[in-house]
Amino acid sequence: MLIKRSDGQAARQRLASTYQGLSSGGLDRRSFLRQAGIGGAGLAALGTLGASRAEASGAATGVLDHARPVARVKNVCTHCSVGCSVIAEVQDGVWVGQEPAWESPINRGTHCAKGASVRELVHGDRRLKYPMKLVGGQWRRITWDTALDEIAAKLTEIRGRTGPDSVFWLGSAKFTNEAAYLYRKLAAFWGTNTVDHQARICHSTTVAGVANTWGYGAQTNSYNDIRNARTMIIMGGNPAEAHPVSLQHVLSGKEINRANLIVIDPRFTRTAAHATEYVRLRPGTDIPLIWGMLWHIFQNGWEDKEFIRQRVYGMEEIRAEVAKWTPEEVERVTGVPGEQLKRVAQMFATQKPATLIWCMGATQKTVGTANVRAYSILLLATGNVGSTGTGANIFRGHCNVQGATDLGLDVTTTPGYYGLDENAWRHWARVWGVEYDWLLSRFGSKQLMETPGIPTTRWFDAVLMPGEREKTDRDGQAYVAQPHSLKAMMVFGHGGNTVTRMPEMVKGLEKLELLVVADPHPTTFSQISNRRDGTYLLPICTSFEMDGSRTVSNRSLQWGAKVVEPIFESRNDYDVLHALTKRLGFADRMFAGIEVKDGKVVAESILREMNRGLWSIGYTGQSPERLKLHMQHQDKFDLVTLRARDDAPAEIRGDYYGLPWPCWGTPEQRHPGTHILYNTNLHVKDGGGTFRARFGVERNGQTLLAEGSYSKGSEIQDGYPEFTVAVLKRLGWFEELTAAEKASLEKHFGANIDRASWATDLSGGIIRVAMEHGCVPYGNAKARAVAWNLPDPVPVHREPIYTARPDLIAKYPTLPDRRGFRMPHLGQSVQVRSNTVAKDFPIILTSGRLVEYEGGGEETRSNKWLAELQQDMFVEINPADAAERKIRDGAWVWVTGPESGAKTRVKALVTERVAKGVAFMPFHFGGWFQGEDRRKHYPAGTDPIVLGESVNTVTTYGYDPVTFMQETKVTLCQIRSA
Amino acid sequence: MIRHLPAALLALTLSAGAVQAQAPTPSPGRGTVSAEEMEMQRMLQGGRIEGRVSIPDARAASLIQPQGREWREFHNRTLAWVGGVAVLGILGLLLAFFGVKGRIPIPGGASGRTMTRFSLLERANHWMVATCFIILGLTGLNLTFGRHLLLPLLGPEAFTAASLWGKVAHNYLAFPFTLGITVMLLLWAKDNLPERRDIDWLKLGGGFFGKGHPVAGRFNAGQKMVFWITVLGGGLVAASGYVLIFPFTVTDIAGMQLAHMVHGIIAVLMIAAMLAHIYIGSVGMEGAFDAMGSGQVDYNWAKEHHGLWVEEEVEKARQTVLPPGARAAGGD
Amino acid sequence: MARMKFLCDSDRCIECNACVTACKNEHEVPWGINRRRVVTINDGKPGERSISMACMHCTDAPCAAVCPVSCFYTTADAIVLHDKDLCIGCGYCFYACPFGAPQYPKVGNFGGRGKMDKCTYCAGGPQQDNSAVEYVQYGANRIAEGKLPLCAEMCSTKALLAGDGDIIAGIYKERVQRRGYGSGAWGWRTAYKQDLTV
Repeated sequence: MLIKRSDGQAARQRLASTYQGLSSGGLDRRSFLRQAGIGGAGLAALGTLGASRAEASGAATGVLDHARPVARVKNVCTHCSVGCSVIAEVQDGVWVGQEPAWESPINRGTHCAKGASVRELVHGDRRLKYPMKLVGGQWRRITWDTALDEIAAKLTEIRGRTGPDSVFWLGSAKFTNEAAYLYRKLAAFWGTNTVDHQARICHSTTVAGVANTWGYGAQTNSYNDIRNARTMIIMGGNPAEAHPVSLQHVLSGKEINRANLIVIDPRFTRTAAHATEYVRLRPGTDIPLIWGMLWHIFQNGWEDKEFIRQRVYGMEEIRAEVAKWTPEEVERVTGVPGEQLKRVAQMFATQKPATLIWCMGATQKTVGTANVRAYSILLLATGNVGSTGTGANIFRGHCNVQGATDLGLDVTTTPGYYGLDENAWRHWARVWGVEYDWLLSRFGSKQLMETPGIPTTRWFDAVLMPGEREKTDRDGQAYVAQPHSLKAMMVFGHGGNTVTRMPEMVKGLEKLELLVVADPHPTTFSQISNRRDGTYLLPICTSFEMDGSRTVSNRSLQWGAKVVEPIFESRNDYDVLHALTKRLGFADRMFAGIEVKDGKVVAESILREMNRGLWSIGYTGQSPERLKLHMQHQDKFDLVTLRARDDAPAEIRGDYYGLPWPCWGTPEQRHPGTHILYNTNLHVKDGGGTFRARFGVERNGQTLLAEGSYSKGSEIQDGYPEFTVAVLKRLGWFEELTAAEKASLEKHFGANIDRASWATDLSGGIIRVAMEHGCVPYGNAKARAVAWNLPDPVPVHREPIYTARPDLIAKYPTLPDRRGFRMPHLGQSVQVRSNTVAKDFPIILTSGRLVEYEGGGEETRSNKWLAELQQDMFVEINPADAAERKIRDGAWVWVTGPESGAKTRVKALVTERVAKGVAFMPFHFGGWFQGEDRRKHYPAGTDPIVLGESVNTVTTYGYDPVTFMQETKVTLCQIRSA
Repeated sequence: MIRHLPAALLALTLSAGAVQAQAPTPSPGRGTVSAEEMEMQRMLQGGRIEGRVSIPDARAASLIQPQGREWREFHNRTLAWVGGVAVLGILGLLLAFFGVKGRIPIPGGASGRTMTRFSLLERANHWMVATCFIILGLTGLNLTFGRHLLLPLLGPEAFTAASLWGKVAHNYLAFPFTLGITVMLLLWAKDNLPERRDIDWLKLGGGFFGKGHPVAGRFNAGQKMVFWITVLGGGLVAASGYVLIFPFTVTDIAGMQLAHMVHGIIAVLMIAAMLAHIYIGSVGMEGAFDAMGSGQVDYNWAKEHHGLWVEEEVEKARQTVLPPGARAAGGD
Repeated sequence: MARMKFLCDSDRCIECNACVTACKNEHEVPWGINRRRVVTINDGKPGERSISMACMHCTDAPCAAVCPVSCFYTTADAIVLHDKDLCIGCGYCFYACPFGAPQYPKVGNFGGRGKMDKCTYCAGGPQQDNSAVEYVQYGANRIAEGKLPLCAEMCSTKALLAGDGDIIAGIYKERVQRRGYGSGAWGWRTAYKQDLTV
């Protein structure tokens, strides 16, 4: 039976080496091998027979040569908004390993499934490898130059024919801050406001809602600060899956303080499993539930009367609305028993500090903005804003959705929420060093320049509907209020399965003259339609392959260093945008203040330009140098306060981690950033603040300014308006401006100098002087419980467009049909359908996240380590509903929707996570469309490992009136066995 | 197994409950789940702690399966003891028997005249099954006893190689073995149907112990037993073996464990039975081997052990030797 | 010498699967092999718990006890490892293991299932520490570098603890005392014949 003598030799050598290199367990192993008895020597030859070596993997990329040095590069996870630091081990330009970043105060070494597998993104063999073009329905490889030349030529041609508003610039929440800013700037230089990104479909209603309440549209506190809370309500969010690392702080807080953790959700989520109290409500009834809580709070006098008196405007009007929501009515509408709600209300109002955490369960609604307003009002009524352990802890979605929003990737504003009026444009013209008139000449008209563009939730309607010059009388209201409809779409880093009504979207895609998808992966846009030409795919690298900063949910900025060079032929956003603008003819103007070295755009120089212009939100102190120091000395920041301790190097001592905005003034002023917004317990120079004076000083004879409340050390011990030169002069502080600051004001404002404000003063002098006196530059006002500029100044309950309770429509109708964002916006005319639709589609459909995937999911479904964990698109269905339909767990079912005859073929997951009459589908899947597997339509080798139906194939019409947020959380469906 | 101890279960559950009572009270709404208690109960009840996993591997959904402990107990103790006792025991018995009785001779010595007992097909099939069985048996025993007996002799690498080859052989020889016992069933089943005289044969101890030899047909009761052990036992071993060869295709972990238990226990018992069969067919009895060797047995041996069969054969021979068309004398 | 153990605090575990992908990433474990997994019991009901499970590196390991070729060995840190060059892929360890830890690269190919693979506690195998050969066969050897298993190091909520049994039991007990509840250490009774009731 002996085969080859030489084999024996080899085997023995290997055995010998085993003896040499034993680890701590060597002794046992050695004694065990010593058993090798008399026959051992000769017969050892058999050891290799048939014993083919079991290999851990074919082509290992993780083999690290321990004998040689390994570079450790720090970047930030590109998935959610928590902002976990990632430490990459790099050897020979290859990312060979990931190590825990213990020093990060945000994640302390930890990750979720996505963060722990990001290395694969940069090895991804399913990435788009080179530019591609659709020729007669076939994908062809082309060069970068060809691609950019052809795209630029087509754009120029469309611009000449139908104007700049015919191009939709869709940006990304996964851009770095620098890329987001550049993209917004590009749209401005191109001449359109139709530039948007994922915030539209995740937290646009949050931004609108909270900004209209107290000034800024962002998380008020931080993940870390939740450790201070004694009561936490998570309502309309499932952070255990969407923001897993945040649960480290939530659960620690819960344990340390023995805090109440209340989860209010239609679905018993993985988060709910850790709650001390779980409240199941009917989807779409958030406002009645909040008003129901407030009913108990007002009834029992649990509200914070002093806080309301000093810092809240209009609470009386809220009382009047809340009085209607008796426990009986609340239970009738929401299904939540009064006793439970009373208990929850009492905890929230009396066991303080209390915080309210929400995500897209609150925002992705036809009443999204009103929901967010109601949540904010609950916080105001209980005095739970502006101090540690309290606040609106809004968990945002993508890794840089906060930053991209701040930088104006939004149809309603220029960077920094300056808006679109002439003052805003003049401010940015000054920052960019271009003539306002030249900028104006780029737009179709001054009116279009100052009108919000077309949001991403409705772009396909704007393709399919005629423009003003194209419409006929028959079209009625069905037109786009701009000269021509959309003809071209530029998509950077955005999935194609993320907006509702996909069957309609496919029609829109097919009508576009030009479609450009710039992304590390081809995304759903590339395969879902039957386009045959005029389609380009550009390989963009991930944020791990470039330098740049990103803003996490709590407003901290983190600088990510390039781990490896872009793989394959991919390029970074900066260089692609630079190359494109060169061909569009305005690169010289656009990059005038930005450094381009050896043809490569320098990320730091973009951030410096941002620092020069973003006064309104305090993005001015975060210089690249300061951010890099923070990344370098992460271990010096306190876990709970996020403040750099006394042992930190002098350059960062006292800073809050990541300089959370507002970080006032110039970098040299060393403002520490603002950990907690509106916190009057701190001096403004220590990160203190007040509610922002944004809505005037008086209304209906009542003051809008704070009464007797002010931030620590303020010389004005009462409310005050925002600072302008005129205000400085009134206070006698004008002369404290330096000569240089005055010169800058003179230069830019001339005769209008009195109107120069803290936000438009490029010298930063007004801010500096205000802070010297302990005043917050934006003023000190009351928060608004009543936002008179919104469709519902006091939030009121409105039934979902497609409701399973048509009996409630009469009492709680949605808004009437109207227009907004250049488009018609239907309300009641669609809602009436519920009366008939609810019979055939009796199950409420809601959607949400899975921990393994992110967003549209092309990237994560291409990651073999993640894809293995979720291999099929599914629908969660209650056992009772499943039994009625004879559906087994794991069986194929059809989920059909009430519009466009939409249908999806998915697997049933029979579970009590959902209540009877409610179904849930995750939103990350794509690649199948209405039962058809479209894998072959991807360019060869770029199809994600896992494909599946998109939930948005069956989601329906319904938009928030303020932001055009889509309704993804409440619609109707039917489920039957496939 | 502990499954039969409800009283113990109750007592333990109660004591676990008492411990639980001292533990801090869980938060409201969390439900009470105790890892220790659940583990203990599952261990006692023989159930598994199961849950949900997203990966499409049903086995992964089992969190803790205490039955592994029982299976280990079976494999390392029960099977080893039963197998050891059965195999060594039967060898001892045979040795003793041989010592006492010696080789059983053909009564009256060989006549020199032979008759055909087994056709070529029968013999070929028998030897195929026998060969398979011996290899299957040895490689099977190796999995239970090899690490104690062979490993110290061969050393780990050679032993692994041998075991690996053994496993391959074990897997593939399962097929000819199954084919063989199927053919056996078809060829010999009708001659192995139990008859009244089998009882007499057994009463007389098959002639091994008492005086005088019981009459028997083609197969005596002893041989019939061997036959049915082979066919039925082999069938069960084969069936359970196929379950093991295609892991988890038809059953779950509990089924796999059960299949292995059935396979192991029946196999060692069969091995013991076959040792006796081998003994009788070879050294134990003069003339017996020829039946499966050349297929020709001595007339005297046949008359002694299978008198009725001999008569039948002679009768058949008388008829069959007649030329076609021959008529009996006086028949015309 | 330390006695290495795993402990999953199911009151912290949120089934985020970081442990699973961290393991895949660190060792480049191929598709279909799940050295670690997360099981959720009472899914969707009050009392739902998720537990991350892998080889527990048992005291008196059943896999080692039943292995026909004795390919298992226990290191001085009480980590249960095996030699893939000796493994014959018989599958016995899977029948004996209470935790479903052993994995096989192939299924059902006439029982030729390939070399068993399981959690190594990031301690590699019998090959030379941190050699390429060891990496390809067993994955990274973090223990030799003085680190702990990556699954526990990267656990999002610090639910999964790895390290010396006494130390992690101490951490766990402290947590239970502080927060006032704890559903216990899953698998400890089975793996280490030890209860962790506080």
